[in-house]
Amino acid sequence: MTENKSPHIIDSKINLEEATCPNREQRANGINVWYGKASDLVKEAREGTLTRRERKFQQTSGCVLNFYLTVRVGTIRDAAVVYHAPVGCSSSALGYRELYRGVPVELGRPAEYDLHWITTNLRENDVVYGATEKLKSAIFEAQRRYNPKAIFVMTSCTSGIIGEDIEGVVAEVQPKVKARIVPVHCEGSRSRLVQTGYDAFWHGVLKYLVKKPQKKQKDLVNVASMLSYTWQDRLEIKRLLEKVGLRVNFIPEFATVEQLEQLSEAAVTAPLCPTYTDYLSRGLEQEYGVPYFLYPSPMGIANTDAWLREIGKHTGKSKEIEKLIEDEHKVWIPKLKAIQEEFAKVKADGKKVEVLGALGQGRLLAQLPYFDELGLKSSAAMCQDFDNLILGDLENLIKNVGDFDILVNTFQAAEQSHITRKLDPDIALTCPFQGGAFKRDKGMTRIHALRGDPDPWSRQSGYTGAIAFGNFLLQSLKSSAFQRTMLEKTENTYKDWWYRQPDPLHYLIKEDGEP
Amino acid sequence: MTKAVQAKVSSAVDLPASDALEAPRFSCALAGAYSTAVGLYGAVPILHSGAGCGIGQLFGQFYGGGQNAGGPVGGTSTPCSSLIEEHVIFGGEKKLRNLIESSVELVNGQFYAVISGCIPSLIGDDTESVVKEFRDKVPIISIKAAGFSGNSYQGYELFFESLIDQFLTPQTKVKGQVNIFGIVPYQHLFWKGDLDVIRELLESIGLKPNIIFTRFDSVEALKSIPAAEYNIVLSPWVGHETAEKLKEKFKTPFIAFPGVPIGPKQSSEFLRVVGKKLRVPAKTVEKVIEEREKRAYRFTEYLGDILTLVRPHAYFSVVADSSTAISITKFLANELGYLPEIVQIADDPHEDKRDLIRRELLETLETPVKPEIVFEVDSYRIRQNLKNRNSLFLFASSLESPISLAEFGAIPLTVAFPSFDRLILEHSYAGYKGGLFLAEDFMSKFAGPL
Repeated sequence: MTENKSPHIIDSKINLEEATCPNREQRANGINVWYGKASDLVKEAREGTLTRRERKFQQTSGCVLNFYLTVRVGTIRDAAVVYHAPVGCSSSALGYRELYRGVPVELGRPAEYDLHWITTNLRENDVVYGATEKLKSAIFEAQRRYNPKAIFVMTSCTSGIIGEDIEGVVAEVQPKVKARIVPVHCEGSRSRLVQTGYDAFWHGVLKYLVKKPQKKQKDLVNVASMLSYTWQDRLEIKRLLEKVGLRVNFIPEFATVEQLEQLSEAAVTAPLCPTYTDYLSRGLEQEYGVPYFLYPSPMGIANTDAWLREIGKHTGKSKEIEKLIEDEHKVWIPKLKAIQEEFAKVKADGKKVEVLGALGQGRLLAQLPYFDELGLKSSAAMCQDFDNLILGDLENLIKNVGDFDILVNTFQAAEQSHITRKLDPDIALTCPFQGGAFKRDKGMTRIHALRGDPDPWSRQSGYTGAIAFGNFLLQSLKSSAFQRTMLEKTENTYKDWWYRQPDPLHYLIKEDGEP
Repeated sequence: MTKAVQAKVSSAVDLPASDALEAPRFSCALAGAYSTAVGLYGAVPILHSGAGCGIGQLFGQFYGGGQNAGGPVGGTSTPCSSLIEEHVIFGGEKKLRNLIESSVELVNGQFYAVISGCIPSLIGDDTESVVKEFRDKVPIISIKAAGFSGNSYQGYELFFESLIDQFLTPQTKVKGQVNIFGIVPYQHLFWKGDLDVIRELLESIGLKPNIIFTRFDSVEALKSIPAAEYNIVLSPWVGHETAEKLKEKFKTPFIAFPGVPIGPKQSSEFLRVVGKKLRVPAKTVEKVIEEREKRAYRFTEYLGDILTLVRPHAYFSVVADSSTAISITKFLANELGYLPEIVQIADDPHEDKRDLIRRELLETLETPVKPEIVFEVDSYRIRQNLKNRNSLFLFASSLESPISLAEFGAIPLTVAFPSFDRLILEHSYAGYKGGLFLAEDFMSKFAGPL
């Protein structure tokens, strides 16, 4: 239930002497393609027989830089980001000025803040002659313009392949600028697993930003929150922890550089998404003795109880936490029961409502027990990728909710459309990146909200989130007009034979390398 | 790839505009070629690139282009070779061959556009010869669009350049057929609506416009490009290379306009010029103009009170691509009597077209007030340039919308890329009604009891 002690983590020691982290492939034998029983996945992982295989047909799915980092690093409040890349690598950061503007100041968003990013706009000439001078001048320019506390330097496929000496530039330029320069080695081509991007970012944060603790803050809880958790999720977590006299250090999105610097002073690092937080949590413990836990996440009532109890243990607040849980249960358990009863009534034959969803490894671990709690059945789940970091927790999950099918697949829309049609769940939870999988006769809704969504309706975390998302899912069963109409009236992306054959991994290349 | 000596050293404090850019309002060449392919219904883009290139453009180019999804073959539905380190070392050609083969087998489509990005270009993949293997089986073209080779606008030109070289063949000219160029899908926010309005305008004087995008017979639309009597380009610089190439190869002359016509004056001028070139009887053209203008101006009377009582002869500022900037400035100045304060051109037009853009903004305005004209792609400088002015309105992008009132004291309306704060599906400011739609949009922001 606490720390993941899987022996299969190949490189568990974090080496901050290195310029960057190892890839998830090396670190935890990560894979991004697999289909079958979850119990078989666990078995193969334990035996060490999981292999990284190629697909003959593949769709765009995100890279180390362009899944998470471009959209999020730029939200760190008194920092600047320099993309050492062609102009297209940072186009997804164009929403930076708006990202959190929709959150009312009354809900705790600072009125005054400004976010900054720059691209070195690599061109043909730079590719031929090198562009470290351009990078240097961009760093100087970021310092001059914004006077930030930190400057994140994000690399790209192009800067990597032409062999730019990023570390050399940082060493040379750092004495001349006030901001701390944080190189993040996130060349898209370095790894097939988008999660390598998280580790690469945390490596930079741990190596360059986190300061030695000046004092330990016994009431401070680090919570690494990522893009799929909303402003309201933060407010819920804050509400709960403040009730027992704890303060939350939400990082990295929309945090200040100072909040990153003081990560070492916290009493504990708690997860929202375990595999997102993993590298940071381990690093903080290794370097500064900050304890951590990776499981569970505060999603669903039981998970939230357990999450709070873990925090209680590390902060000496166990008694207060028990009281909090008791008080909260009085309010929320009746509401949970009402939702359970509603779900139980959905099908005339008394069968459970089936749901197909899941996104990252973290949501897989968190959401399946929560769905179970709501009285929903998840006979299958999709998971962006899989690595040994969650092996032990996956074993526990199977013990708790029973075996299920799992499709490991990073936004492969054709495979996701296939399995959605084949399993035909009552509710398909879709991330908008699922291609045509939303076009269907039955229920469909989003798997999570995004950004600074300030509406309580979009909550998923903690007790209020458990109830809000339960009601949200109930609501999704009330109409299928949109998805049904779209199914009827628009063309399918894939040819019919795709759905007639049985295997979502039809295009997996066999071990011998032949398609 | 050898790393050569540094070619140039720039000053750290006073950078030339090309060196460090905050949030430029376009993406890369791959993004432009990709948007162009996605705008052609029935065409399947195939990205030969890193796995993040498509999803990056889903966020940056498609969502940025008026919060539009990628549709059936864009975004994560787009086939992609997803190159990583081992391909960087051993080459990605085999992977591409497999991908084209499976895409043709699996994805519904009539036309395939293989767009190769930075990695294949850096490692020297011979994309062309892989694509050639499929040429006798399906309609397919190969576009080399490394991200570092240019921006979204240049990606659009690269697409058509490849199309002309690899796919188009001479056709018998069809009387009255005109192709429309210069509108880059997604990058030009109102691409769908504008093209539809342009089609209708040209049909109203008896021509046969081929708007190419959003047609369900897009392969036919592409094939018939050489059959046009004239090409019409609706930008002072985008689409000009394409039009030049078509002139050279198929002897099709072209007419260029500085932008998409907004409001009656620009629309009438557009119809007159096109009508004259295409030898449409003046009587036909004038009849259409008379009918349309009569209605447009009768409707303009409805906005007379709110305009006059609330915000008459107001100063306004613009930040937009050259085509949008010119058309909107002219409409507001010449039809509503608004006063242009500063116009910032943010699409990095070719140097040799800048004089023309300046002239369009200075010499065609019916107001003695002339705007300051700045060519600037850097969002930091653009923001500085907007401070301490007395504009009441700012026609710009969603980069400015959230800070406009607080920092510039101007009511913002997003009219140019990026637009994360407006969903734009059919909306258009083109044509006779377009000016009224524009008035509705910005006047609704200050509308209240009179």
